[in-house]
Amino acid sequence: MQAYAPGIYARSEELIQATRDLDRGRTTPEAVEDARERDMAELVAVQEEAGLDLLADGMLGAQDIFRPLAEATEGLDARPLTRFLDTNTFYRAVLVAGTPRLRTPLPAPDLPAGRWLATLPAPLAFARAARGALTAQTAAEAIIAPQMEAFAAAGCALIVLGDPFLAREGGVDEAVAALGELPRDVPLLLHLPFGDATPVLEALGDAPVDAVGVDFYATALEAVPEGYPKEIAAGVLDARSSALEDPEEIIRFVERLVDRGPGGVSLIPSGDLQFVPERIAREKLLRLGRARATLTEGVPA
Amino acid sequence: MTSDVRFPTREIGSLAKPSWRVKPFAGRPLEEGDIAEAERWGERLEVDGFDRLVEHLRQDELDLPEIDHWAARYALRLLERAGLDVVYDGEQRRTEMYDHVAGFARGFEVRGTVRSFDNKYYRKAAVVERPAADGPQDVDEYRFVVEHTDREVKVPLTGAYTMEDWSYDEHYAHEGALGSSAERRYEARSRFVTDVAERVIRPNVVGLVEAGCDWIQIDEPAAATKPDEVPLVVLGFNAALAGVEAEKKSMHICFSDYSALWPSVLELEDCLELQLEFANRDSRELGTRDEDRPGYADTLRLFKEHGYPGVGLGVLDIHSDFVEPAVLVRDRILYAVSVLDDPTRIQVNPDCGLRTRSWDVVYEKLANMVEGARLAEDVLNKASAPAAQRL
Repeated sequence: MQAYAPGIYARSEELIQATRDLDRGRTTPEAVEDARERDMAELVAVQEEAGLDLLADGMLGAQDIFRPLAEATEGLDARPLTRFLDTNTFYRAVLVAGTPRLRTPLPAPDLPAGRWLATLPAPLAFARAARGALTAQTAAEAIIAPQMEAFAAAGCALIVLGDPFLAREGGVDEAVAALGELPRDVPLLLHLPFGDATPVLEALGDAPVDAVGVDFYATALEAVPEGYPKEIAAGVLDARSSALEDPEEIIRFVERLVDRGPGGVSLIPSGDLQFVPERIAREKLLRLGRARATLTEGVPA
Repeated sequence: MTSDVRFPTREIGSLAKPSWRVKPFAGRPLEEGDIAEAERWGERLEVDGFDRLVEHLRQDELDLPEIDHWAARYALRLLERAGLDVVYDGEQRRTEMYDHVAGFARGFEVRGTVRSFDNKYYRKAAVVERPAADGPQDVDEYRFVVEHTDREVKVPLTGAYTMEDWSYDEHYAHEGALGSSAERRYEARSRFVTDVAERVIRPNVVGLVEAGCDWIQIDEPAAATKPDEVPLVVLGFNAALAGVEAEKKSMHICFSDYSALWPSVLELEDCLELQLEFANRDSRELGTRDEDRPGYADTLRLFKEHGYPGVGLGVLDIHSDFVEPAVLVRDRILYAVSVLDDPTRIQVNPDCGLRTRSWDVVYEKLANMVEGARLAEDVLNKASAPAAQRL
């Protein structure tokens, strides 16, 4: 049973201030980059301390989950500010101004080969961020697949495809068809953050991915069909709550989940930890690690 | 006989705070450029006695409340000089719409800073016990405004649902949240909204109305973000305002899927209008056909179909320095009239508060908004005038 933390991680108060200062012309891009590197080093240290199995770079430079790929792709731009689900955060919708083609793949993070994960938008999520001006199929073939190949060549151990819309808006058939266009060199997790996965979970049992990520702060445990064929990446940290989870409660919950007989269980936050302050995100990761250690190694939580 | 069409123009709420206001509150020294800005805008807006402000800033002789007074006066004058019919103080005294309330009411504790978008952030609190306020929060602010303007005044207040939605919950639904049912989560949120509406916002509303305020605007930017919770938005609005003798009650919502609002918003009691963001999602090309106005078409049809409430038409994109030409504002208004077929249901405003834009950009945008409203009125009034008058 692995534990890891995909998605955009919380920026420290220092990095926040640096980015604010940059916007106001009070500091330099180099100073912001220095602050970001310090944050990333701190994040790696926290993940190591928590005993997480895979390391993430926290996407600390990303303004939203779609922006890095949108900016790296010819024919795409980002402009209209759009509310991200039911949060008080926004992303910039993807504008399609030409035939999309990934210009240069995003660089791999400076993490040990074979021990890091990458988070990308799932094809249908990317298409929805483009408001239908792009099909999921095109997003998969022209943008996400070449990016995944680049990450695979750089030693990525797991690719997490985030789809914050699927659980809410449906479209499983289109999502699954587009996922079928992606390379399978690296294990794939389709993550459904911040949504009740009940309506789509069963259909995703046949999806060409290795695991499905479920937010169990929006999804009842009973929504997981008995004997589910895929691994469940269980969102057991509430990434939208400041309340700190009790590792014992996580353990009891996971034991009930395991009893339902899924193809496997791993532990993740319910969504991107950028929705809580960094101080809280860090403590949550440590608690995730304690729960995982107890579940796998019998270490007291 | 047909009376002339008139589109009242208003702001929504916040303006950027001038650096000569921000730095003293942050404990940072003023530089000559900050003082020069106070002088430049004082002259441009013809703020009474601005030279005294400039001198006091130079001598570092003002305390923080006095600086707040000046910032409120400057903001008021900016809105007046831009030509708005309805004004307030640009929320110069408020830290930010959420923090303003969370920092005042009991029951909230700040947890830290989280991102809103790009490099914009806000402080976020957790509710740790039933929220309550010991009295009205904004009465002094309101009294200052009415003492310094002869325009109509509209007071923006953060709504109960947004306070609930933007807070962490460490009180109502924390225990047993992992793997729990949607019904249980909804019930906890309903209790949270009701408590904020009745115990925090309503005392403020009552105090404002007793002080003479006759227009309360409830800001609910979170309103449509959870479609199945729109009834909670209505619950919060009605619980805060029911029975209150304000002449006008309205609600501002932005950056959301507005299709989720109906039919629940039909239950809003005595709501003059919904002031919505439209321009952000619209084309910048001129025109009054459906295809020219993609940001307006679908939502305006909902207003038309349901007949309630009125429309506060967002015509300025608050997240861009692009200054909408008056003719673009005109076309957005004329398009809305063509869909609703009732200009009396339309008033004109920016998409949202303009706090992320510089005062130079804000002034140009607002002035063009007012001019665009006049252009639209001219078109409609000429069209409805008897032929002899049109000659």
